[in-house]
Amino acid sequence: MTDMANPLNPAVSDGPFDEMIRRFLLGSLSASEQPLFEQRLMSDVGLDARARLIELDLADDYACGRLTISDRQSFEQRFLVTVDRRQRLRVSELLHDRFSFSGAMERAARPETDRGAKRLRHFFGLDRPAWRIAFGALIVLILFGTVLLVVKGPRLAERLTNRIIPKRSTPRSAPREVNHPTNISSPEHPSTPSPMPPHDSATQSPQTVALFPTAPDAVKIPTVTLSNGERDFVRLKLAVTVDQKVPHRAEVLTIGGQSVLLVDRLQGPQIEVDVPMRSLKGGKYRVRLSDARDVSKKEVASYYFLVQ
Amino acid sequence: MSPAKNFQLLKQEDFDRLLTWLDSDPNGAGLSYERIRWRLIAILASRGCAVPEELADETIDRVARRVADIRDTYVGDKAIYFLGVMNNVHHEYLKRPKMARPPEAVDDVEVKEKTHLCLDKCLDKLTANSRHMIERYYAADKKAKIDLRKQLAADSGVSLNTLRLRALRIREKLQACIEQCLQTEGL
Repeated sequence: MTDMANPLNPAVSDGPFDEMIRRFLLGSLSASEQPLFEQRLMSDVGLDARARLIELDLADDYACGRLTISDRQSFEQRFLVTVDRRQRLRVSELLHDRFSFSGAMERAARPETDRGAKRLRHFFGLDRPAWRIAFGALIVLILFGTVLLVVKGPRLAERLTNRIIPKRSTPRSAPREVNHPTNISSPEHPSTPSPMPPHDSATQSPQTVALFPTAPDAVKIPTVTLSNGERDFVRLKLAVTVDQKVPHRAEVLTIGGQSVLLVDRLQGPQIEVDVPMRSLKGGKYRVRLSDARDVSKKEVASYYFLVQ
Repeated sequence: MSPAKNFQLLKQEDFDRLLTWLDSDPNGAGLSYERIRWRLIAILASRGCAVPEELADETIDRVARRVADIRDTYVGDKAIYFLGVMNNVHHEYLKRPKMARPPEAVDDVEVKEKTHLCLDKCLDKLTANSRHMIERYYAADKKAKIDLRKQLAADSGVSLNTLRLRALRIREKLQACIEQCLQTEGL
């Protein structure tokens, strides 16, 4: 019998017999098959060479996850019991990891780069446990910081905002700075506060003048002192002696009759009218109070003040 | 058999006599010895023995001690004689109280990385042809793997089985090299 004619020649493919060798190696032969196969393995030349090839295939198949669940169990219990086979499996796993997943062909084409990167990593000691511990600690710190932000976020945000954008003082001395933020690099930043409204009494200190209905020729009338502030104003408190329940209209006029300010729908026993300083000049002024509902604008009271 | 009786050191002269009985040529004797040992281990593992190497060595030791008595009278395949002795050794093993197998040590990340570095070194030691072959041999999975290996065999002008044998030889070189490298690394 020549080598090629021998069914146990490893150079000749024999599917069913290979399958039998596989089952032998996995310890899955039947009770009747097992002793016959053992006799044959011990006496037939070449069978062990073939069995070694299939041993290699089994290790590769296990490493690549190609075995069924029951074959995997058999492999672990009946096959993986010798040092040599465990080493064989280790090589299979190494080769599978290195060459067998997607992109293996690309890596095979440029193995130097791959190995170079690995060597570089080893050279700088990035594969040492100390680095892993350091990265672990960094991740824990980041997690801790995230939790802190979530829990105390609003308070921290408020503090930060106050630090970055401090509350502005009364812009009396520097009105231009209020209306035109000095932060030239980011003029449209959303956190830049908008100009203060003229009626914000919390930040303004207006002159307040109480006015009572008087005759045009009254000698003693309240006096308002002019100021230069762009946003300065004088608050006129008009004492209402007529029907306080109806809405009123107040019009500030120069003594020559030129209208300076008109405010509608005012109500109450004391009506407040804020007059911007910039609209006033030195001289006498009249405040004309009328019923807002009355289209004829008939005057119900007059008040006078002097601007100096 | 008691453990004390079981533990017997093999004398060098018994071992030499065994090799001579297997083959008068020392190289042939060594090959026969290795082949018989591999077969015994394979059979014992297939039977579910947890310590096949230990029992195979015990079998060989027993045969070696008996060679002086049987070498002139024994007729037939010598490997079959080993099988008979192995059956006795295995039978005794089955009567032993079962010992729990120690859990397999799981390689940690550092060991795996060192093993990969050893693989790099050992791949570098291969010839360019061998390296190219082993890379392509493991380059794809399942159907793609079969196609690729057929293509590789055709490119090399050999049969698929010859290709497998070549891969086996390269792998055995790699395996020996990696084990040596890991020993150098102290693993």
